[in-house]
Amino acid sequence: MEPMDIVGKSKEDVSLPKATMFKIIKEMLPPDVRVARDTQDLLVDCCVEFINLVSSESNEVCNREDKRTIAPEHVLKALEVLGFGDYIEEVYAAYEQHRLETLDSPKGGRFSGIEMTEEEAAAEQQRMFAEARARMNNGVTLQKQPELDQVESRKADNEEI
Amino acid sequence: MRQAGIYSGILSHRTGPHSLPLSRIKKIMRHSGSDSKAMMIAGEAPLVFSKACEIFIQELTARAYEITVLGRRRTLQKDDIATAITVTDLFDFLLQVVPESADAGDGAAPAAGGRPIDDACELLL
Repeated sequence: MEPMDIVGKSKEDVSLPKATMFKIIKEMLPPDVRVARDTQDLLVDCCVEFINLVSSESNEVCNREDKRTIAPEHVLKALEVLGFGDYIEEVYAAYEQHRLETLDSPKGGRFSGIEMTEEEAAAEQQRMFAEARARMNNGVTLQKQPELDQVESRKADNEEI
Repeated sequence: MRQAGIYSGILSHRTGPHSLPLSRIKKIMRHSGSDSKAMMIAGEAPLVFSKACEIFIQELTARAYEITVLGRRRTLQKDDIATAITVTDLFDFLLQVVPESADAGDGAAPAAGGRPIDDACELLL
C-alpha cells in the first residue's frame, strides 16, 4: 500500500502552476528584472511549504474549537498565530469580495430574476403562459372559449350601461 | 498588459486572473494533513489560502529582490531568496526548503565590500 501512496503523491500533484506563480512574481518586480528558472521553482516550493504550514496550524485551530471542518476563520486565526497577522486584513477583504460576487451570480440554476430585468421577466412569464396554453389547447379543446365568451358578453353589458 | 511597479500587487485587490487554482491548493492541504485524520475543508477555505499565498509570494519576492539590488544584479537568483529567508524570522519555516543557505561556510572570509547578507540584515531588520 505504501509505494502506491508515494506514487500518488508525486511532486506534480502537490505543486502550483508555474505560469500563475510567474505572473505574481513578475508583477512585483520592475519590467527589466529577470527571474532565473530555478528561482521560480524555489518560490513554488516555498509556497507549497507555506500552505503546509498554515494547513497544519489551521487544523490545530479547528480541533481546538472542536470543529470538524476547516473554515476560513480557522485559517485566518492560523495566519495570526504563525506571525502572518499583516496578511489578515487583505485576505479577509478578498474573501468578502468573492463572497459578494458569488452571491450576485446566478448559482444552481435558480430563476432568481437577477439576470433579467422586470420587463424581461414579465415577458418570459407571458411566453411560458402562452406555451402552456398552447399545450392545453392541443390536448383539450373548447375549454378556454366559453370563458372568453363570458368575458366578452360581460364587456358588452358594461358598455351598454 | 504588464503592470510594472513593485507594490502594485500588494495594494490592489485583484483575485481574478492571477489567483492560484483552488483544486491544487485543496490537494496540497489534504496532502499536508496528518495520516490518521482526514481533514474536512470548507468550500471557501482554499480561497483564503489562495490570497494568502499570493501575498506571501509577493513579500518573499520583494525581499529577495532587495538582495538582488544590493548585489547590483538584474536577475533574481536562488541565493537571493535563500538570503531573504535567512534574514527574516518569519520565514524560518522555509530554511528546510532551501538547499543551502547563502550564509553557509562564509564565516571565515568576508568578501571585499561587505557581504550582501550583512547589508540585508541592516536593511530588513
